[in-house]
Amino acid sequence: MFKDLDPLLHSQLRLAVMSILISAVEAEFVFIREKTNSTAGNLSVQIEKLREAGYISVEKSFKGKMPRTTCRITPEGIAAFEKYVEDLNSYLQKK
Amino acid sequence: MRELNKTIFMENLLSEKESLDLIGQMISTAKNNLQKGTGKIFLLWGYMVAIISLLTFILLITLPPETKYYAYYMWFLMFAAYPVHYVLLKNKEKEKLVMTYIEKVMNWVWIAFSISILVVVAGLIIAMVLVMPAFTDVRPGHEFDRWFQWLFITPLLLCLYGFALFVSGKAYAFKPLATGGVICWIATFIILISIHHVHVLAIQQIVLTISAVAGFVIPGHMLNRKECKDV
Repeated sequence: MFKDLDPLLHSQLRLAVMSILISAVEAEFVFIREKTNSTAGNLSVQIEKLREAGYISVEKSFKGKMPRTTCRITPEGIAAFEKYVEDLNSYLQKK
Repeated sequence: MRELNKTIFMENLLSEKESLDLIGQMISTAKNNLQKGTGKIFLLWGYMVAIISLLTFILLITLPPETKYYAYYMWFLMFAAYPVHYVLLKNKEKEKLVMTYIEKVMNWVWIAFSISILVVVAGLIIAMVLVMPAFTDVRPGHEFDRWFQWLFITPLLLCLYGFALFVSGKAYAFKPLATGGVICWIATFIILISIHHVHVLAIQQIVLTISAVAGFVIPGHMLNRKECKDV
């Protein structure tokens, strides 16, 4: 029933990550983990999938001595997210 | 919210309704997010302006007429706030976990505000110390006696305070800041219509004290309390 929806986005955690990133310039891994209430391991895997698809960019740096991972949505990610929401809306309208 | 999250993130297949709910819920997490540490920066500048303007006011009404304009030298104390501002800003950066579009724009608004103040103050001081003595008969060491120059600094600064505070208040949906901005605009108006008054410079300083308390100190304390609650 959801065959038209982007499978990469039609997943709970990945969709949550993309929704946070579309509303922010950038967000840290810790922030996303806290807001999605997910585990670090699962979140890392999903973020890597989104990065591989080119939907987000991930930057690793240091804040003092602490490692920091900053995520940003890419123009491709924005386009994919917009298309996903459009598809979702058209599905709801058909229903 | 955590309970809702747990339910949503269970490995169920998403329905179209759940998808939309999830998007809405996640988008709102970063919305209107006021960075921890913002209140302290407001308090730093608020207290500096309030205390210095109050001291300047006291000096203006107590010093003998021939030296009273040296009261304005008090404002050089403002430079002492810059290192503290730098430290507070660094700490704020460390705490920052997310940068929203509103924050990005507001950072630029405050940078533009600082540049505007720098242009106004530098322009008037250079006019007073260098340009006026070169083209008029001001005696050396008496450059600051050109009191009428001081008439313009305070209303210009207050109007800029009003602008930056009002925009911040509306952007972060934090009413005390917007109210502070409106008070600064009213203060500007009062100062401008009392320009004829013999004690206009002293009036300006005390109005500035009140505006700094209303626009920066009170909202600053309220922000601090809000930040503590939010964390």
